[in-house]
Amino acid sequence: MDDNRPSVLRVEHLSKQYKKGVYASRDVTFDVKEGEIFALIGPNGAGKTTTIRMIATLLKPTEGDAIVGGCSIKTDPAGVRRNLTYLPDEAGAYKNMKGRQYLKFMAEMYAENREQVAEYVKAAEGICKLGDRLDDKIETYSRGMTRKLLLARTIMSKPKIAILDEPTSGLDIINALEIRRMIKELAAEGMSFLLSSHNMLEIEFLSDRVGIIARGHLLEVGRPAELVESYHAENLEEVFEMEVMKKDVTGW
Amino acid sequence: MKFMSLLKKELREMLNTQTIFMLVLMLFMMYGMGGMLNKSAEKASEESSRITICDQDDTKFTQSVLKFLEHPTSDMTNEVKKITLESDDYAKELDRLNIKSFVIIPEGFTDKINAGEQAEVTYVSQMTSMSMMSNVNVGSETALQLISSAVKTAMYSDLTSRGKLTDKESKLIEAPVTVNEHTIVGSKSENISQLILYSSLYSRSLFMPMAVYILILLGSQSMINAVSAEKLDKTLETLLSAPISRLHVISAKMLAAAVVALLNAVVYMIGMNNLNLSPAGDIGEEYSKMIEKLGLVFDFRAYLLIGIQMMLTMLISLSISMILGAFAKNIKSSQTLLLPLMFVTIVPFMACMFLDVSTLPGAVRYLLYAIPFTHTFMASDTVMFGKTELYTAGLIYQAVFLVICMTIAVRIFTSDYIFTAGEFIGRKKKKKHPEEDM
Repeated sequence: MDDNRPSVLRVEHLSKQYKKGVYASRDVTFDVKEGEIFALIGPNGAGKTTTIRMIATLLKPTEGDAIVGGCSIKTDPAGVRRNLTYLPDEAGAYKNMKGRQYLKFMAEMYAENREQVAEYVKAAEGICKLGDRLDDKIETYSRGMTRKLLLARTIMSKPKIAILDEPTSGLDIINALEIRRMIKELAAEGMSFLLSSHNMLEIEFLSDRVGIIARGHLLEVGRPAELVESYHAENLEEVFEMEVMKKDVTGW
Repeated sequence: MKFMSLLKKELREMLNTQTIFMLVLMLFMMYGMGGMLNKSAEKASEESSRITICDQDDTKFTQSVLKFLEHPTSDMTNEVKKITLESDDYAKELDRLNIKSFVIIPEGFTDKINAGEQAEVTYVSQMTSMSMMSNVNVGSETALQLISSAVKTAMYSDLTSRGKLTDKESKLIEAPVTVNEHTIVGSKSENISQLILYSSLYSRSLFMPMAVYILILLGSQSMINAVSAEKLDKTLETLLSAPISRLHVISAKMLAAAVVALLNAVVYMIGMNNLNLSPAGDIGEEYSKMIEKLGLVFDFRAYLLIGIQMMLTMLISLSISMILGAFAKNIKSSQTLLLPLMFVTIVPFMACMFLDVSTLPGAVRYLLYAIPFTHTFMASDTVMFGKTELYTAGLIYQAVFLVICMTIAVRIFTSDYIFTAGEFIGRKKKKKHPEEDM
């Protein structure tokens, strides 16, 4: 990986305080480079989703900033939204719509003209591989089919950075492998990814770098192999356990 | 033991906080409504002993009739107020005397009785509302019965003293007094019974608040479900992270809701136009013309004015539902969120069905006026009975209320609240680590 590549996302001292003294995310700083797959890992309630939501301009930060493709989430949220797409964990789609209708609807949100809409829909059809089922209502889809449709929607417009919260949850092994392969290919083409996952094997396979987050703090950032080595661990799962437990013992 | 455990579990499921809250709410509401209705019944009872009468005949006989009205029986006393009319304009006279009805014993009344002919009294009453209990003028109605009874007694002793009654005399004794009824609506007066008027407008006066109530509830429920489903399915997160203005997202939702509200209002208006469940049946051309002259017809203007308030009410309830939907934590909680809206809808609904809200005591009246839906429940009254100021004030209030609700809805949708609202509700404060669970 060429570390001199420009950053697509720069997160600078990002904090979110819900009420006095209650921080969901505190002083989080990291960056994601062009074509890089960066993963945020952490236990439930660690602050991953809050951090991601702030980057996706859904929540306003209390302190700090994030720059996405040169646009600040504070001063130019509309610009940020043009540069990223976001797939929330356990997200659904409009059940009354047919698969193809949903893709067209979402394409219209991102495209600048009709040709681009058609282009995005075609790309999404190729990604989700749902075939004729795209003409069925989404309410008839299985969880896996819905996830594939949503993933296709997220990456069809080839944003500068795609934020995927648990990208393969609900997918069977074959489909999950396919999606992981696709993410790798798109990253090789220059698209950046910010992932959040509990699946350490997936993270180890996919990520160029990982950030371990617990109780709102980013504890460690590094390449999976480097982290495993520096912690004298067997794998990333062990690193994660050691890092999170260490902070627990020291009274976080 | 197993059965008891099952029973306990079922009770816990069914008798949840939501159900208990609703029961308490209903109790308070029924208590409040009961109080209001009781007061109206007390008022009607007081009025039954208050008789306003204009004795234009002023003979010994009519004077004795008035005395009889004061003490019809040994244990019954009525307050008889004698009035003098300054003109034949009954509407003006009612206004001048600040009363709702009176009875006139016309000149020549005694002569007709003495001649063995049917005498006539005039009954003038004002109709100000289509609500059930507002069309009762107990005092005057009691007076009419007592006058008839007094005349009957006097006539009977006079005629029977002369011997056996002829067929004509027997018929006369059965109905010695006829009533010439005048109903006043606004400044207009027609020779028609208030009962006939009420009967012909009965279905609409009942249907109106019921339809508004159902529309509010159905509309609100679908909006709360739509917003909460979008929030819970996280389709809202997807949408709000797309390069589109949040104002566009909310205005599209509101515009769609407005179209649905407009459609609802139109369908309701068409339905109301075709609905004729009058217990009086077909009241005939003559009466229809009188009703038309009194202005109690649903013409284009009335439909338009009621329709505008209907639409405003729908929009208010939809924007409130939008706000409430943002607080949904799950599908069950989204249903609970509907309860406050149900409460503020059912109170004016019932009040307007039974009472003329504009005549209620100050505090209760203003409390009801503060609920924006009250003005739509009252719309048929305010429009039909020419209460223009009340209608306009209600419309302005509804418009202001709508702007406030929409502003709050926009604020919620354009801020963190849409994702954080409801998250802290019901959360126990026992965390050691403040950053947990985010």
